[in-house]
Amino acid sequence: MSQSSFDVFALWKEIYNRTESVWQDAIQETLEKKSFAESLGQIQSQYVQYQELVNKMTESYLKQANIPTRDEIANVASLIVNVDSKIDQLEDEFDEERERIFKEIDALKKSVASLEKKLDKVIDLLNKSLETTEEPQTSVAAAANKAVSK
Amino acid sequence: MVTLDTTPIQEWIESLPKNQAFETLEKLKRFNEVLFTDPEPEVGQTPKEVIWTKNKAKLYRYQPYKEKTNKVPILIIYALINRPYILDLYPGNSFIEYLTDCGHDVYLLDWGTAGYEDRHLKLEDYIVDYIPRAAKKVLKTSGAKEITMFGYCMGGTMTAIFTALYQKKLPIRNLILLTSPIDFEDAGLYTKWLDKRYFKLDNIVETLGNVPSDFIDFGNKLLNPLSNTVGVYVNIASNIDNEDKVLNWKLMQKWLNDGVPFPGEAYRQWIRDFYQENKLINDELVIRGERVLLSNITANLLNIVATRDNIVLPQQIEPLNDKVSSKNKTLHVVNAGHVSVITGKRAVAERYPYIEQWITENSK
Repeated sequence: MSQSSFDVFALWKEIYNRTESVWQDAIQETLEKKSFAESLGQIQSQYVQYQELVNKMTESYLKQANIPTRDEIANVASLIVNVDSKIDQLEDEFDEERERIFKEIDALKKSVASLEKKLDKVIDLLNKSLETTEEPQTSVAAAANKAVSK
Repeated sequence: MVTLDTTPIQEWIESLPKNQAFETLEKLKRFNEVLFTDPEPEVGQTPKEVIWTKNKAKLYRYQPYKEKTNKVPILIIYALINRPYILDLYPGNSFIEYLTDCGHDVYLLDWGTAGYEDRHLKLEDYIVDYIPRAAKKVLKTSGAKEITMFGYCMGGTMTAIFTALYQKKLPIRNLILLTSPIDFEDAGLYTKWLDKRYFKLDNIVETLGNVPSDFIDFGNKLLNPLSNTVGVYVNIASNIDNEDKVLNWKLMQKWLNDGVPFPGEAYRQWIRDFYQENKLINDELVIRGERVLLSNITANLLNIVATRDNIVLPQQIEPLNDKVSSKNKTLHVVNAGHVSVITGKRAVAERYPYIEQWITENSK
């Protein structure tokens, strides 16, 4: 035989499900009404008015007590934020400049390499032309030697 | 000194027959623990490093030492409301963890907590001063030639605006938007509640400076008051003996109650230009003197709509696909809510693989 018991969670869920199904449509209908938006606006206005009063009172108390106000602390924080943003900008500019310099160095390396190649070619050509000019000279010198020996 | 030894009572309770009444008692005890004494679960556990900071914002790179098999990095932009760890909620229930485990190079721009000194920051300051720099840092760190932009909720709206403005200046290959409002013609109850005649926007911003998270949370909860107040407790009470559900409930409650203040001027711009005047979809939004034309967007687009979302309604999202010039554009409709679209069992099983596959296919 099963023991009869009371499950508070099951009961809670049951009550919630029944309530929700009954109230859901009515709540939704209310939320969509223009009058609800109007009331919401009024509540917000009152909240803002209250908040403004609190802000003014707090500020006046802090000034009298010679304690920095929220605005004054925020001003100091803004200065730090400005410095942070300047550093960020400098970092960006530094990066761009570094990139530009690296590109220039790469371009320089390439042009030096091509210059080297060109120089090698010039040296090769010079050597060849030297060889060709040296050959007839050596044959003339040999003929002269022969004549002298005769 | 009098001490009360409760051991006999404890022994007596334990000796009681394990009937349903006893189980109810146990459940009540557990319910009490969950609500009042259990520690909060640890969120955002995927390893990450900060690669750039600006004011309160931080740019994170996730799992930097994990092998990156996908060549296009992903930059996630979150909203100015709530915290971005919803995308890295818990191991096994984390969108970011899933993407990084699949070999993607994931970055997230966390806006941080705005201070009173940030009350003058406008939406355009975030879009023009922060997002492009973060995108450049991502490109530089990853060494990639192109980038995938990912925006969630209001972060998606900001990402869409950024893409429209920077499509020709930065190599934005893919744009993924998750429940991101673009058309505010019919924003449901918000359209009614934020009506200029009743909602005194200027008074709110001028008095409060930054708009507190409770103020915004109140509006969100009011969309479905019974379910968002009593319903959440009934829900956990009926699942109190299911540890998985208890953990998920605690994670969600932690995130929902961990809001950040909305910078005042950004809030003014967000409500006025978007909810009250619907400028973006009508090509009337001007950011730092430049008109935002959504037709400038040519990146591959994945636009995700959640049908049960009551914060961003499907009709606010869908019109983007008709405005952009992208040749490759997808409107993906899922049966989920605003948050369950990216967290929870179904998100892990269905949405994560879908998004990951789309990114992989469009990053080759």
